[in-house]
Amino acid sequence: MDESFLLLFFKKEALFPMKRLRLFLGTELPLAAILAFGLVPFIWMAVSSVRPDEELTQSPVRLIPGALTLVHHIELLRRTSFAANLRDSFVVAAGAVALGLLLSLPAAYAFSRFRFPGRRFLRVQFLVVNMFPVVLLVLPLFFVLRGLGLLDTYVALIMGHATFTLPFAIWLMTSYIDGIPADLDEAAMMDGATGVQVLRLVILPLVVPGMVAVGIYLFIASWNEYLFALMLAGRNVRTVTVALQMFIGENEIHWGLLTAGGTLVAMPAVVLFLFAQRHLVGGLTGGAVKG
Amino acid sequence: MKRRTLIASAAALTAAPLSAPHAQKPAVVRWWYHFDDPKASPAALVAEFEKANPGITIQAENIPWGGGADYDTRLYTSIIAGNAPDAAMVKFNNLTRLLEMDALAPLDKLLAGWSGKADISDDLWSLHRAPDGKAYYLPVQYVVLYLYCRQDWFAEKGLKLPVTFDDFQTAAIALTGGDRWGFGLRGGAGGHDHWCSFVLGGGAKMVKGGLVAPPAIAANRWFVGLHTERHVFPPSAPNDGFQQIIANMKAGRTAMTIHHIGSANDMVAALGDKITAVPVPRGPQGQGWTSFGDGSNALLAQGKNQEAAWKWISYLSTGPANVAFNKLSGQVTVTKSGAATWDVQPKRFVEATVNSLPIAATLPSTPQTADFTRTVWPQTTQKALVEQITADDMMAIFEKHYFG
Amino acid sequence: MRLGSPALPWLLLAPALAATVLLVLVPVGETFWLSLHDVILFRPRVRPFVGLGNYVAVLRDPLFWESLGHSVVWVVVAVSLQFGLGLCTALLLNRTFAWRAVARALVIVPWALPSVIIGLVWTWMLDFNLGLVNQLGVRWGLLEAPIAWLARPDTAMAAVILAVVWQGFPFFAVTLLAGLQAIPREHYEAAEIDGAGVVVSFWNVTLPGLAPVIATSLLLRMIWVSNSLDLILVMTGGGPGTSTHTLPLYAFLKAWSGANYGYGSALAVVLTVLLLAVVISYAVRAGREAKA
Repeated sequence: MDESFLLLFFKKEALFPMKRLRLFLGTELPLAAILAFGLVPFIWMAVSSVRPDEELTQSPVRLIPGALTLVHHIELLRRTSFAANLRDSFVVAAGAVALGLLLSLPAAYAFSRFRFPGRRFLRVQFLVVNMFPVVLLVLPLFFVLRGLGLLDTYVALIMGHATFTLPFAIWLMTSYIDGIPADLDEAAMMDGATGVQVLRLVILPLVVPGMVAVGIYLFIASWNEYLFALMLAGRNVRTVTVALQMFIGENEIHWGLLTAGGTLVAMPAVVLFLFAQRHLVGGLTGGAVKG
Repeated sequence: MKRRTLIASAAALTAAPLSAPHAQKPAVVRWWYHFDDPKASPAALVAEFEKANPGITIQAENIPWGGGADYDTRLYTSIIAGNAPDAAMVKFNNLTRLLEMDALAPLDKLLAGWSGKADISDDLWSLHRAPDGKAYYLPVQYVVLYLYCRQDWFAEKGLKLPVTFDDFQTAAIALTGGDRWGFGLRGGAGGHDHWCSFVLGGGAKMVKGGLVAPPAIAANRWFVGLHTERHVFPPSAPNDGFQQIIANMKAGRTAMTIHHIGSANDMVAALGDKITAVPVPRGPQGQGWTSFGDGSNALLAQGKNQEAAWKWISYLSTGPANVAFNKLSGQVTVTKSGAATWDVQPKRFVEATVNSLPIAATLPSTPQTADFTRTVWPQTTQKALVEQITADDMMAIFEKHYFG
Repeated sequence: MRLGSPALPWLLLAPALAATVLLVLVPVGETFWLSLHDVILFRPRVRPFVGLGNYVAVLRDPLFWESLGHSVVWVVVAVSLQFGLGLCTALLLNRTFAWRAVARALVIVPWALPSVIIGLVWTWMLDFNLGLVNQLGVRWGLLEAPIAWLARPDTAMAAVILAVVWQGFPFFAVTLLAGLQAIPREHYEAAEIDGAGVVVSFWNVTLPGLAPVIATSLLLRMIWVSNSLDLILVMTGGGPGTSTHTLPLYAFLKAWSGANYGYGSALAVVLTVLLLAVVISYAVRAGREAKA
């Protein structure tokens, strides 16, 4: 029987037990161990969110919940403003990604492909401003945004988050563009392309993996930010991090709500990355260099 | 004719700014608050108030507590930036700082004409008086710290519920053993409340030299020794916060701890009749000290709608509204009329609270206190508990912090 | 190389520069100005100019030096562990196997959680009485008795570092994974033809190809970790005593809890200058290596 027929039904590896074993021992097993380390605290939290309250302080701790309940999730979505806060966080994070990519891509292209006076200084400047502890930036920034009349708006938070994400994004993006062989744009230049065309037609398609990484970084950094969200907004715009902080009171931690909220909060980034990760593939092939 | 219309319209123009704010434009009162329960919303109270006071709109904003730091940071920033709310919930330990910022509006005149004043006990008024003798805070809720006891374990060992430090120590030692500890100490930030009961209750005084005088030194040595020599606190005590001390109590790992009525219903749900509360034990000379946990509303000096804001905060401290408010906040009503029918927590916890009032006090209202409770106390005490410094060093540091 | 007009790079940079000047440079300048004054938050009208007074006080402050020491341990240990684990994860995730897409998505879970949640979950897991770590450790015979991880000066730093490694390794995994995509496949093929094994091609192909991304991500992460204080604040508040007290935490506590904004600002400026020194020496070394 033709072997390729079997390939319709089985993964190729399944037909080669030795190769399969090597894949298992060399890749899947260590990765599973890393994922276990990464996921156990999260799973513990997710499990806690479906436990009845009285089990949370039972000693010794029950690994498997004695009963399951969705009461915390229901309370979270029905009796607190969490759903609206998720929306606010999403708008802010999406805005931060858009602004971050829009500003960092041209800047990184300029840094990577042009030699101009002051280039080094400017590049380092972006790092230096980022070294300043954010906790001390918030008061002056409050005045700036108040002067612009932007307090408690989406724009305030998107701009606030840009203070610490933008320099990161520019640097990270520059290193990805640095990784793209320069002979590609030179070839395009020979064909008479302008600088902007090179960026759009040559660099942009090849830097997609980098944009995915930077985009995820921007999204998560904004999504998880607390201090600016607390100080620069609050009434009209309230993000999930501020909402989660509400579950930690002066005398009480609402552990059920907090774990339920924590479980939900991680989802958007994970789902987003599940879709985006397909662009982290391939690498530069010979074809791309020649084309 | 022409001239008359001109005059008429001019009159209308000048009259407009006078009449408009009252007749058409509703006064918006921005009010900041914090409730521990995120499910509790003051919307019903706001609706009732707005119905009774047409022309006033309340914008209530729930500010995260963040160990006190987040709330204060937000409030200070807004004051410095000239963007403060009209009214806000505040605590006594911030009074001097807010006064130094000239951030508060005095309430004396408003209180003089307010019928609800007599319904709040004189004890509460005197606890809230500012150093300059004026009133800036309008009490809206309170708690007093008391001692939770596992009465079933006390009964098993034939112990009586502690009244004095000696009783407390005897019980704590007797109830420690295996994976049980006599007392769940809050050694993390906020735990100064526990320490004050033992050391200020044991004879230390918050006056110059009062923290390094012999009775103060003796009381603190005894307090630190409970951990380093007698081992009646769990080993995690130096970093435990309120969630740990309450969880340990609920889980049956500790026999006593100090907290307040805000956690009573939670405790009863976990432990039923096994748990009760008594006032914190008293020191060797019969004196005692327990922390008065206050909650008040204040008017911010920057506010543009002080009259309307006063109507709102005075409403919240009046009889039925105050009872409803405290059902949301989980604390105790400040009104005598409300207290008469108070049934939110089991009686034994209300009694322990009321019986603690004679020894209830606050740390001095000086600018040092906020930093003391948040940074100096936990850092120094933890060092003493893990034996990096001695108990006497600890008191010397406190003396220096407060009195230079 | 010339690409169009000489003004082009400036045009490309202008929006990003404008944003940074407005949102960062102005506030930083203002904070620096405040650090030259005696600024007590609750005395907004009295701000005497004290010149370098706050800086002199910082250098004489024993807690500053102690916090600096803790910051060095915190940054060096946390970033190297995050990097090591992240690099392994990236290399594994770059291979082909059936559940790769799912594994890639799941690996970012720790990174996708707000710090306050991470801090509380780890505090809870490490809890003396009710924590999973102590319970399983004792049951599996790894621990003789439960340990109060966060209340002991000898274990507290390790515990907060564990949490920040957990939080941070996915950042390296994702950025390095993206960097791996830029390495031309034929470089590996060429190495294979030369008879290079996995280890050799890692040293000769992967590492050089990944170098710019490694250098940048290490640098950025180092800055981020040295400035991050939220996990420590939630888990130990800098304690027990001052065992986990780092510089940004100190600046934060001084500026806000202590209301001494001038001193807090001075601490922040010193932290920035120290970081700058590290970064410059790093950049100089990297530049020299690139030339070599």
